[in-house]
Amino acid sequence: MSDHHEVTDKAVVRIQNLHKYFGSLEVLKGVDLEVRRGEVVTILGPSGSGKSTLLRCINLLEKPTGGEIWFEDTCITDPNTNINEVREHVGMVFQSFNLFPHLSAKKNVMLAQRKVLKRSNEEAERIALEQLAKVGLSDRSEYMPSQLSGGQQQRVAIARALAMDPHVMLFDEATSALDPELVRGVLDVMRELAEGGMTMIVVTHEMGFARDVADRAVFMDEGIIVEQGLPEEVFDNPRHARTRDFLGHII
Amino acid sequence: MSTTKKYSTVASALRSFVALVAVLSLVVCVVGPTPEARALTVDKTTAQPNQSDGNQIIGGVPTRITWEATVGDDEEIKEIHLVFPAGTTLGEGANTKATVLDGLARLETPQENTITDEGTVIDFAEPVASGLLIRVEIFYVALPAESGHYTLTGRYVDGEGTERELEESPAIAVISVTVVESITQWLDEQPWVEWWNSQLFLRVFFNPQLIVASVPTLFQGWLRSLGLVLVGFPLAIPIGLAVSFLRMARFRIVRFFASIYVNVIRGTPLFLQIYIAFFGLPFLGVSIDSYLLGILVLAMNSSAYLAEIFRAGIQSIHKGQFEASASLGMNAVQTMFSVILPQTVRRVIPTATSEFILLYKDTSLLAAVGVMEQMMFAKSMVASSGNMTPYIVAAGYYLLVTLPLTKIIGSFEKKLAAAEGHSSEPPDKKKKRKRLQKTEDAPSDSFAPPHDNFRRGNGLMGPKI
Repeated sequence: MSDHHEVTDKAVVRIQNLHKYFGSLEVLKGVDLEVRRGEVVTILGPSGSGKSTLLRCINLLEKPTGGEIWFEDTCITDPNTNINEVREHVGMVFQSFNLFPHLSAKKNVMLAQRKVLKRSNEEAERIALEQLAKVGLSDRSEYMPSQLSGGQQQRVAIARALAMDPHVMLFDEATSALDPELVRGVLDVMRELAEGGMTMIVVTHEMGFARDVADRAVFMDEGIIVEQGLPEEVFDNPRHARTRDFLGHII
Repeated sequence: MSTTKKYSTVASALRSFVALVAVLSLVVCVVGPTPEARALTVDKTTAQPNQSDGNQIIGGVPTRITWEATVGDDEEIKEIHLVFPAGTTLGEGANTKATVLDGLARLETPQENTITDEGTVIDFAEPVASGLLIRVEIFYVALPAESGHYTLTGRYVDGEGTERELEESPAIAVISVTVVESITQWLDEQPWVEWWNSQLFLRVFFNPQLIVASVPTLFQGWLRSLGLVLVGFPLAIPIGLAVSFLRMARFRIVRFFASIYVNVIRGTPLFLQIYIAFFGLPFLGVSIDSYLLGILVLAMNSSAYLAEIFRAGIQSIHKGQFEASASLGMNAVQTMFSVILPQTVRRVIPTATSEFILLYKDTSLLAAVGVMEQMMFAKSMVASSGNMTPYIVAAGYYLLVTLPLTKIIGSFEKKLAAAEGHSSEPPDKKKKRKRLQKTEDAPSDSFAPPHDNFRRGNGLMGPKI
């Protein structure tokens, strides 16, 4: 377990009895999850278990069918909530990077700062360069996404999310699309971020990362949370057969 | 119908111009100093138009000059010396003839005339009596080649043998010989042209003189056609974009009406749409300038095609781009204009350019309702010459636009493919990227042109109506 950062009691994200249907297919079957400030939570599970859907519900990229999701003091499942205001504070990193291909690395990081936070061009540029430096890409700020490797693109995507000063970062299989030799650079950035106290919800297949960095591991299968706890407990002494089965296949 | 309307406006403009000139000359006559009674008053000086298809006088080309004067009270005229403007030349068979008129009656007037480059002398055997009109016609004389206003000067000898200066004649407006006229004249004399034109096919489709004559005339038609498409197409872009948004709207009813717009316009011939607009609107009492109406119909037609091109372009953008924008808190408008459209523009440029080419060619359909454009110019030249050559020249003008554009599309598509294929990467990384792209969710999937049953023709130059 990593106790080099502080986990507070204050919940950043609170999910209650979350249900999600895709047509008649029930993907989430009543999920409860609370993530506190400074906490790093990894969500594990076989594909199709609903972990990505759960993550995408948190910033409403998927619309929940039932249940409630709270972000700090805002109920985001309330139709009257302006979701864009919530999304400003919820950073997300995608499996396929989703950089804006027509903008340079720096401009990728600047765009939402300018449009959403209404920062001045100078301030947005300064922050963009700062964030790019943090992810080790100072020398790539003027590169177009197509000129960057996958790992570099993903790090730009992380910088882009961080530039918005998010209260929580969601990672949706951020390293799954990368060649093995490029995974490390991205994981290092995520590790540093965790050590810096960022609240993170990480859907991943990187067991090493889940074990070393996370405060809590959540194992999902077939739309429910099967078990959760300290990473050591979940990995070394899984209580459920399904967890054991999954870990047996992975490790 | 609009053709006649157009001509009648031209005619009325001409009429008012003539009236204005008449009024002005009247004013000059009234206000100008009353000339002392002269023995010979010059009434008019004109030259016969010698332009092949026009009503102007070209310098350097033989024409006929007519000069008229009235003999004053109690005067007689024995000789008239007319001096030509400097630079006047004589054509073959140049001569002078004077006629004396008493009212409408033509009097027998024996005379001895001489003519040179400098002028002409009319020597009457019997002095011309007072009150009579003397008309001097000078045949096959070429006024100076340079354009300008030329007058005839000179002197006359009265019955008592006194020589007096003639008053200056009214001016003759002369235009300089055009390049086209001189080339045409030159061609007329070439033996190879004679042989060329003796071949039926070559004469009917590639008549050299008509090619030379068509190029400048059809240039005006070319400009007008280009004007139609250069105004119509940019107008179609925002309409098309708006319709494409409506096609993707959240509400089914909005999508329904947008798709009706698109399908009706794309499912019916532009020719029919032009007829409905040009013959239908007058029934409603709506009268729009035919050129403007033509632009509007073209823009409306093209907007439906562009709407589908834009929609396909927007929908080809990976949904990850929308999600990434949303996750950063950007609203739909910000996402559309900062993220989606800039990427769409690049992808649709080739297809939109071929749409531009199609629309440019479609301007020719407006000839059917009398809008003056390339086809109309060619048609009227064909009608007056009885030769197909102007159509061939018109084809050349169309190709002047479409061929380079086709080429540009080609090179742009290549560039686009290169950009999406990440060619700017260092070579050692290229291999990895290729492998990577198979596994990853293809963030920059290439743009597939819309499957389009209504597409006019198969390619850029596809068959039309």
